[in-house]
Amino acid sequence: MSLLQQYALLLGMVAATVGLVINLGAVARAVGRTHAEKAKDVPATGGELSPEPVWVRYHVRYYGYALLFLAFDMEMAFMYPWAVVYKELGLVALLDMGVFLAILFLGLLYGWSQGALRRQ
Amino acid sequence: MNFVAVLLMLLAGTYWVAVLEDWVSTGRFRPAGPVLSGLALLGRESLVPRKPDRIFFEVAPALLLVSAVLAAAVLPLAPGLILADLATGALFVNAALAYVMVALLMAGWGPDGAYAMVGGFRFLGQLVAYSMLIVMPITAVAMRSESLLTTEIVTSQASLWNVVYQPLGFVLFLLAAMAVAFLPPFDLPTAPGELAGGVEAEYTGWRLAVMRLGRAVLVLTVALAATVFYLGGWLGPVLPPWAWSASKTLAVAAAMLFVGRYVPRLREADVLAWCWKYGIPLALLNIFYVGVVILGVA
Repeated sequence: MSLLQQYALLLGMVAATVGLVINLGAVARAVGRTHAEKAKDVPATGGELSPEPVWVRYHVRYYGYALLFLAFDMEMAFMYPWAVVYKELGLVALLDMGVFLAILFLGLLYGWSQGALRRQ
Repeated sequence: MNFVAVLLMLLAGTYWVAVLEDWVSTGRFRPAGPVLSGLALLGRESLVPRKPDRIFFEVAPALLLVSAVLAAAVLPLAPGLILADLATGALFVNAALAYVMVALLMAGWGPDGAYAMVGGFRFLGQLVAYSMLIVMPITAVAMRSESLLTTEIVTSQASLWNVVYQPLGFVLFLLAAMAVAFLPPFDLPTAPGELAGGVEAEYTGWRLAVMRLGRAVLVLTVALAATVFYLGGWLGPVLPPWAWSASKTLAVAAAMLFVGRYVPRLREADVLAWCWKYGIPLALLNIFYVGVVILGVA
């Protein structure tokens, strides 16, 4: 299969999966409808209405990790092409990436020492 | 022909994963269980919360299923038994599995319920923790195979399986795989008994059935990925290749489900701290170790 055909196949699978889900919904609707009853559609909150609106700013207490994650995630974009040609390039590749990873790892250690690696 | 065979095998695998999950969580072996509960869910009312973000609410279960199916599509069951042998297969698995987080975050935000919201944002934190432990071990696998083709990754293990070649990577990948599929010690987004189902809390009827199906396909997919990347995929003596893939995959899935029964749920703060303080240094060490071993061999 050519590359284009492969991606077309994957796209077809996405469409087929979505189609399956829609059909399941249609079958469920054909079997029976939802009865409208009082307070049935209240989200689960331990038996009471939620005292505050739910769609508020959520305190993401792991933001220190999230910032480090950005740096590491970018680095992975370089790692994959490097990994494929690693055997070909040999020691040079190891040293090149070693220096790059060492700098990044120092960043992680610095972040750790400054208290980035904890729930804020 | 092959296409249909692969789809049927993935379907059968998903079914057995569902049976296994039922078995380890209830202690009863019911081969017909998934069919019966699936039909029961289809027959039940599927409620929509009163003020939902309708698009997020409806799309989330489908997206979970789609991401798991896409990741499974690039993993081989045997030579020729693969849906799409992409040149970037190993990378595509990561890309597809990233949408698991998007799906769960949407499922958390959509229904406008407090428990669901907490579950969704917890899973975002979980992604920050496990994500590096998926991609870094796969990098080390690609270093050995010199290719991102998943079929090449399997054939590169002909002399020695990666589980022996880089055991550290295997352990890290397996733990991260459990976290992607939010299996018990890492079931923070659903957290039964604590968040009342979390991201699943507001889903009922057929929507819940789709979500459960997506989860089952996801467990199968990550088990298949562990088989392909570390356990030599279809390689093995006597039995036909597809039988080896199937038995290894189901064994990995069973092991992942079984472990969860005996480990208490971890806290989000602990998962994050352990992954970043120990997991990532170990994953980098694994890459370095594999690099040195490859140079030593060459």
